[in-house]
Amino acid sequence: MIVETKDLTRLYHLGSSRITAVYKANLKIEEGGIVSIVGPSGSGKTTLLNLIGLNDKPTSGEIFFRDRKTSSIPDKERRKIRLRDMGFIFQTFNLLPTLTALENVELPMALLGIPQETQRTQAVERLKSVGLAERLEHKPRELSNGERQRVAIARALANNPSLILADEPTGELDSETGQEIIDLLLNLSKKETTTVIVATHDERVAKVSQVKLSIKDGEITN
Amino acid sequence: MRITVMCFRNLLRRRLRTTLCIFGISLATVFIVAIGATTTHYTQVIRDMNIFFTGKIVAVPEGAMVVQGFPVVGGNIPQNIIEEIKQIEGVEAAVPMLVRFGYQIEAIVQLAPSNITIGVPYGNWSMLVGATPLEPGGNWPSERDEVVLGQSIAAQYGLKVGSTLPVKDMNKTMHILTVSGILDSRSALLLRGIIIPLEMARRLHYENPDVTWKGNMVVVAFESGLKEEEIAERIRAETRGIEALTTDLRNEIVEPLLSDIETWNAGITSVLYALSMVLITLVAMINISERRRDFATLDAIGAPKRTVLRMVVTEILFIGLIGSIIGIVVGSFSAVLFASQYTNIPLSLFLSNIFEIVTPWLIVRVLVSTVAVATLAGLVPALAATRINIAEGLRSEY
Repeated sequence: MIVETKDLTRLYHLGSSRITAVYKANLKIEEGGIVSIVGPSGSGKTTLLNLIGLNDKPTSGEIFFRDRKTSSIPDKERRKIRLRDMGFIFQTFNLLPTLTALENVELPMALLGIPQETQRTQAVERLKSVGLAERLEHKPRELSNGERQRVAIARALANNPSLILADEPTGELDSETGQEIIDLLLNLSKKETTTVIVATHDERVAKVSQVKLSIKDGEITN
Repeated sequence: MRITVMCFRNLLRRRLRTTLCIFGISLATVFIVAIGATTTHYTQVIRDMNIFFTGKIVAVPEGAMVVQGFPVVGGNIPQNIIEEIKQIEGVEAAVPMLVRFGYQIEAIVQLAPSNITIGVPYGNWSMLVGATPLEPGGNWPSERDEVVLGQSIAAQYGLKVGSTLPVKDMNKTMHILTVSGILDSRSALLLRGIIIPLEMARRLHYENPDVTWKGNMVVVAFESGLKEEEIAERIRAETRGIEALTTDLRNEIVEPLLSDIETWNAGITSVLYALSMVLITLVAMINISERRRDFATLDAIGAPKRTVLRMVVTEILFIGLIGSIIGIVVGSFSAVLFASQYTNIPLSLFLSNIFEIVTPWLIVRVLVSTVAVATLAGLVPALAATRINIAEGLRSEY
């Protein structure tokens, strides 16, 4: 079991009103394959992904990552888990604009303390594997959206994580490029034996996933 | 290394803002250096003046405006008073001197006089300059019309031993003085000093040289074992219209002035540093606010807090360092330009001795303070950057 949640709840306070983003979510996600979390905008997909990715803390309930209870561990430990075991892909790519494609991919390795030579070799390999061998020295603004998302995927894979969390990875892409990204995610889940959890409302992503979870108003419905 | 590269690129990405911030810091530093150097230099000059007569008493006419024993404005001392002082028990010598600062506009004394003329009786040079030697080849004046100059004045007018110096007296009569020596001293006072025999000084400065006035100050040496205050009391009691100033009293007179100057300097410096801090904090906060998504992304991929902290502080340190270096260079030139304007001493003379005005200590102090202020100003934004909520930050727009 790579991820397990028990009665996971996340409430937000907006002024005097209380918003329930995720309510008593109980999940058990096995290692490997693609898990899609499908739901309309505002249903709580991103919040759930942030909770699983330890980017947010639950209001109540528990999250277990590889059987380790993570809800109450210190921030420093949460960072370490994110750095070593998780990779993130965002809808808006979130590449660092001042770094080249290569440097963006090297960054997680650098943060982990991997020697510079190794970083360079592995980052080049990662970028080649996503079809960007010719775009290593380009800055994000010099890349198309599809290329940016490929760099983001390469960065997410940089430290060989066991879990990749992708938030609407095709949201900013045209259908053709979106399909390429879906194929890429499918390939990596097979090749790298990495678990990919994707929050999406793209039916094509849902179709290729082994497990499909539906979420509505913060509650897992299926 | 990558963090540093990122910092530089971030600063270059916002070139105009970075340049303006550096300009702001530079401007503040220019004022800090220029004002600091000028005030430090002139307070040092004033403090330096009292060294000349340490352990001696300086007698001046009552009511004279005195800076460290040198009468700036007011009064003369007649021969009979000097004789009276010499008769006082315990007094070993009473040497009259005639001091004139570089007056320019009628009776208004320049803020920073460009020269000081001191008339000293033959054979009593050491009473003024102590053991200060002359540059090789020079001699103390042996004739009425000989003069010893400070290095700065000699350099300004291209004068050497044997050169002649035409000067007009109060009756517009021309006198040709011959330079007999150049003082080998970096004392601020002696650099701009013109030391001439007292009789010559009297002829130059009094419309009627036959008057009984012998000078405007008397330097009094006394027997060892006696206290300055004791002799000063005797002079006050046994002469009329004379103020006897001990070393302590001379310091006490000038200390409030020096203290005021230093307080103003510290005040202005503090305000400028405070403004710099506000500027840096503001710019850093804007930078961080624009890059919330970047910081949230870094956090999401597991970057330690110290990485984000280091990024923000490094950027600010860079701004502070570049700003202070530019400020120190420009401020140093401003200080000598300012000094040159106020003294009519050519800029080239100041430039060749720039580190006497802008001391290395001042440079180090300003550099360290500016960088420290920048770091301090950057801490709040840096901490703010580490506290960005990841989930919210990831949704931020550029």
